[in-house]
Amino acid sequence: MRGLSSLERVVLECIGNQHLSYEEILFQSGLQENVCFNIIQALIIRGVLKSVKGQYLINENISPLMMEEMNGLEARKAESLELMEAVLEKDYDKIFRFQKVAMDERDTKIFKAMLSNLESFLKDAHQKAEKNIPLKNRHIVFWGMGELLPMMNQIMKGN
Amino acid sequence: MRLENKIIERYRQLFPKETLKESSARTGIQITRVYRLFLGKPMKVHELEAFEKAINEGMSTNPNHSRLTYVLEEASALLTNEELGKLADYFERRVENKKFVRSYIRPLFQETNIA
Repeated sequence: MRGLSSLERVVLECIGNQHLSYEEILFQSGLQENVCFNIIQALIIRGVLKSVKGQYLINENISPLMMEEMNGLEARKAESLELMEAVLEKDYDKIFRFQKVAMDERDTKIFKAMLSNLESFLKDAHQKAEKNIPLKNRHIVFWGMGELLPMMNQIMKGN
Repeated sequence: MRLENKIIERYRQLFPKETLKESSARTGIQITRVYRLFLGKPMKVHELEAFEKAINEGMSTNPNHSRLTYVLEEASALLTNEELGKLADYFERRVENKKFVRSYIRPLFQETNIA
């Protein structure tokens, strides 16, 4: 299942519910011209996008099968991994920490509460700036935690 | 897609900026004939072999190619069908992204659907 590449998703997110011209998509996405053109073309061939009077919009009659292929769990996982990998491979201005941390039960609870605060802060920040900041200037933020032992078992099983 | 078209497509992916003259020199096939083959004319066996040889030579210049081939053979024998599916998905995504970025010249026999 091919899903949707992060680059394709960026184009779709730029368009959203609007009708956008090629130049507007180019500005919002910050993609190179040929890349943007190729992606739009690929999305039209897949039936996800359509063009009306020189403007692009998302096809409202996407089949459920295609929706599942684009937005299903596996597709979203692959897309997240693609972006996380890109963050890891960045060689400048990178913020990334990965640690095995010993935490007692109390500290685990505190940490989870802090994560919850972080999530609401990000939600508010996004709502405040959403209209003024084009997609290309947004940040990728991710976090997560898990217990090591179950994850090792998962790796041994082959995920 | 016919085998010969696939071969031409792979050749053009591997050498996207090559002129007809250069393709002719690389494969040893006459330039007018190369042009016709890029248009989708049927190939003779020796022409198919010439393109395959050029593709193999082109890929062997990449030192990680043989490593990848070896690992894939081992993976096919050891990993489960589900794990192989995940690897295939991963490769497919990398390839698709590369196709978006690369100013890839499609073989002449492929029609492009432009909006």
